[in-house]
Amino acid sequence: MEIENKSGVKTPEVKILKDGPIILKGFFRFRTSSGEETEKEHEILLCGCGKSGNKPYCDETHKKNVIKS
Amino acid sequence: MYQGNKKYTNGEITVFWYPKKCIHATHCYRELIEVFNPGRRPWINMNGAPTKEIIRVVKLCPTQALDYKYNNEDANIQKSGDQSVAEKMVAEARIMKNGPLVLKGDFTIIDADGKEIKHHKTSLLCRCGASKNPPFCDGTHSKTGYLGN
Repeated sequence: MEIENKSGVKTPEVKILKDGPIILKGFFRFRTSSGEETEKEHEILLCGCGKSGNKPYCDETHKKNVIKS
Repeated sequence: MYQGNKKYTNGEITVFWYPKKCIHATHCYRELIEVFNPGRRPWINMNGAPTKEIIRVVKLCPTQALDYKYNNEDANIQKSGDQSVAEKMVAEARIMKNGPLVLKGDFTIIDADGKEIKHHKTSLLCRCGASKNPPFCDGTHSKTGYLGN
């Protein structure tokens, strides 16, 4: 889905997968819990099940666990 | 808009507190315990710091559980002008340590069923997998002791 806002920039998209990660895609500023910031075109898979061994990122651990979504 | 559950004033500004929006991110009292002290009643002491400092910390609140307005209407007009400039800024996704994903600004959010979710300025998405109101954070992470960068 491509949505353009008033300034002509595509609105970044957040997709939540059932029992899986949160996918962030588009141009936005990403700030980690340690305060590192990157402002660019991103495609990030964040852990949404709470069980990743590589947080905040998804490491596919959710496939081994059943979580409620 | 300003029908908060609680309000506190120092004569210059009024701080509004919306308990239902609070997820205990703790930014307010870690930054300014002289004003925001959960162990005291009332928990907000408007005489604990200068107005400018109170506004700075209110703005740090990631959930908008804290808000403020000037008691003087002319100053509010200036404030809303400043905010519309801020809203034009780039969208931000922020990871809160041991807590949710905070989305600020323009995002299109699609839930697990493929439906677009209403997003207005700020959304907090659950990262711990235990929220009873997915995909949003409901503060459960603080009860389960979720740890995550």
